[in-house]
Amino acid sequence: MRRAAVVPLLVVALGVSLAAQELPTRLGGTNGPRPAAPAPTRAVPRLPDGTVDLGGVWSGGGPVGDIGQQGGLKRGYLESIMTPAAKAIFATRTEAQDPYNYCMPAGVPRMAADFAWRLVQYPTTKPTHIFLLYEGNMHSFRQIFMDGRKHPVDPTPTWFGHSIGRWEGDTLVVDSIGFNDKFWFDRRGHPHTEQLHTIERWTRPEFTKLTRVVTIDDPGAYTRPFDVTFTAELGSPDSEILEYICIENNQYGLPGGHDFNPVGR
Amino acid sequence: MRRLFFVSLTIAALSMALVQAQELGRRLGGSNGPTPTTAESSRPAPKLADGTIDLSGVWTGGGGEEIGRLLKPGELDTILLPHTKKLMQSRNDGMDPYNYCLPGGPLRITGGFGWRLVQHPTVNAKYIFMLQEGNAHTYRQIFMDGRKHPVDPSPTWYGHSTGRWEGPTLVVDTIGVNDRFWLDGSGIQHTEQLHLVERWTRTDFTTMKREVTIDDPGAFTRPFTVTYTARLGTPDSEIFEYICIENNQYGLAQGLQPPVKGETEK
Repeated sequence: MRRAAVVPLLVVALGVSLAAQELPTRLGGTNGPRPAAPAPTRAVPRLPDGTVDLGGVWSGGGPVGDIGQQGGLKRGYLESIMTPAAKAIFATRTEAQDPYNYCMPAGVPRMAADFAWRLVQYPTTKPTHIFLLYEGNMHSFRQIFMDGRKHPVDPTPTWFGHSIGRWEGDTLVVDSIGFNDKFWFDRRGHPHTEQLHTIERWTRPEFTKLTRVVTIDDPGAYTRPFDVTFTAELGSPDSEILEYICIENNQYGLPGGHDFNPVGR
Repeated sequence: MRRLFFVSLTIAALSMALVQAQELGRRLGGSNGPTPTTAESSRPAPKLADGTIDLSGVWTGGGGEEIGRLLKPGELDTILLPHTKKLMQSRNDGMDPYNYCLPGGPLRITGGFGWRLVQHPTVNAKYIFMLQEGNAHTYRQIFMDGRKHPVDPSPTWYGHSTGRWEGPTLVVDTIGVNDRFWLDGSGIQHTEQLHLVERWTRTDFTTMKREVTIDDPGAFTRPFTVTYTARLGTPDSEIFEYICIENNQYGLAQGLQPPVKGETEK
């Protein structure tokens, strides 16, 4: 329903005519790139150094509406393991207050959810960095250090945190700390604290799929760690990341009729 | 002057966090930028295995200066069409979309903050990405696979950019931008007809020259060329995370007033 509302808004907002068909088949945003044709038997590509090539334009792979339900947990499970403080915060949250709707960064693991994104292993041989470039919501990027460095001891909290990655066989393991507590995991507002520690396990089980298992450990908000699992789908070979700038006119938030933190909520 | 003001504001804003942030290198992002490399400036630019110049790295500068200062005295006056001049004169810092966390467009994405150039794949690159630490923490992409511009692209903040090599020089051709960003902090306006041709040359190991020919018959009397310079950061430089919209550090939060409806522009 919301999806249906966002797309026409976006089209109007960009002031785009139908003459724009040369920009593949879409205008960016939540309609996403055309999926690649299934290729279940095709071998996954590899970089010259033998590691799996995760590069490409992908759709999905993170939570949108509800991290628990979409991540494979039983309904109500996350509430059952929330600390009292987290539960109290969660109870006050409504979708209209979601910082994501006001063009703030999506954080981890949400970034990868409802816009196309590109994974870049850089340089191609023995990458020192992985960049995740997101079409929306603020057209931002996340970086993962692959050069063997450690986390800083007490990092300044940021939206994307400090991420270091390593390979365990064909699985990319990304360990992240140093998050701020400002982003929500999903539209429902599942909270976290600055103690958040995520471990993502990315695999490419077949040519057109990425599986992402995320262990979320945040003793400030959840009494025990939990795992959520997401899948990303490869875009067709001609897919490109387009430009979606949420802040341009805040398509979903204020123009969508939401009030920011209305009094009394 | 504006630059100095901005730098000191940023430093002041960030100093609260600085003490505990030393593990993040020597800085927290923002306009203080990565430490420039001083050594090795005489070394030639590195090359990739396919023979192209390696432009990658964390750079500072190369797009933020006021265009008038890069031209001969009085030259800008002869370039601006009357309505462009009038618009520029009506503008002040408080109206600059960049100060309200909007993307800076293809020129300003490399001004004011550290930025990283990524050739991808490293050899026979099909893309060049420019990742900006601030302001909106966005990126720009340049298609290196030989494709043409679309015929009538939807206008965007970064436009449609295609690149090719002419010897050691990366030539980037851009059309399809919207008219919502300013070309610089002095408020030079352009139209959707803007056509940029950038020539990026790594003149030595630590220096990148960026010559930009700016053509827009809707805004300027003739095409003109300005030259910017970017400096390489030290080898341990990284792009940090600066999210302008988080608290709009320079714009509203610093007391700038957005234009009142009907009061400004056009």
